Amino acid sequence: MSLEQIATSMQSTSLSEALKDISWLVPALQSIHILMVGVVFVSMLAIALRVLGLMRAEMPLPQVWTRFAPFFWTGLAVMALTGALLTIAEPVRELMTLSFRIKVVLLAIGIASAAAFGRGVRVAAAPASGGLRVAVLATVALWLAIILLGRAIAYDTSVWGGWSPVKSLGGAAT
Amino acid sequence: MNPPAIIQSIESSGIGEWLRSTEIAMPIVNSLHVLCIVLVYGSILVVDLRLLGLRDRARAVTAVSTEMLRLTWAAFAGAVVTGAMFFAANASTYWFNNAFRFKMLAILLAGINMLVFQFVTYRKVEAWDRNASPPGAARLAGALSLLIWTAVIVLGRVIGFTKGGIEVIVPTDEDFAF
Repeated sequence: MSLEQIATSMQSTSLSEALKDISWLVPALQSIHILMVGVVFVSMLAIALRVLGLMRAEMPLPQVWTRFAPFFWTGLAVMALTGALLTIAEPVRELMTLSFRIKVVLLAIGIASAAAFGRGVRVAAAPASGGLRVAVLATVALWLAIILLGRAIAYDTSVWGGWSPVKSLGGAAT
Repeated sequence: MNPPAIIQSIESSGIGEWLRSTEIAMPIVNSLHVLCIVLVYGSILVVDLRLLGLRDRARAVTAVSTEMLRLTWAAFAGAVVTGAMFFAANASTYWFNNAFRFKMLAILLAGINMLVFQFVTYRKVEAWDRNASPPGAARLAGALSLLIWTAVIVLGRVIGFTKGGIEVIVPTDEDFAF
């Protein structure tokens, strides 16, 4: 079963139909999704800036983590839930874009690295090593890419041209 | 119904024309707009939660606002520039869009709330800088800010689903553009 077939059959599930039936639900879910992106991204950024010594340098890193991590994880959970519902509501629009597929992969990397960082931060409160600084900069770049790709879903063919799977659907970017 | 001449000339300006005719322009402008907006919202949230006395209670209010507000302002500037580009590309559509009008009104209210806070409440910040729970006026400013900026984002999203002055939420085009 191809991804396109999965997306198409998802579209006709009763949950998908129910989500689409309520006209204000998709905009509402998108709004919550964007608000949570703000919470998640700035929480991540605050921790990253602390590692780089650019913010709250006098505050121990574990303390900065304790302040922002709950916002990061809670925001991420709500973001994932609203994102999942949006995908169920419009599976073809989401799954059949390159932007969405790359975004999901990057998101998995982002979550795994945050979890690993969270485990590490509790054991080692040592000053940031060169390696950690690079990792943190890479993490910021990763989340930037996730956000930009999220918006690119709506413009998949303009962004990716022939690489976009939207083309194979006869240009129907539902 | 025609929009005012100024709106029409913004739409037919070179930049408006360029934005409409360049395929990659709007995806880039749109993505950057979202990026700026989430930065504005997330950073203001940190300050608002401190004003409300809900987070960073042991940290000076001035320290929290100083560390965050540079990011907020830089991101807000970016949001204004990219937002103006949206407007230039489809000025008359935005002009007649109620969600757009309410969004601009909400941004204005956010500005007034901020000015009142800045020039009245914040002037005496030394007196309550280290208070775990700031005075009522500061907490009110924080709550209003949170509420208004949330509304700004919701209204921004509603613009993408509405056309002209129609209040019913209908998807306007295939990409649900902002």
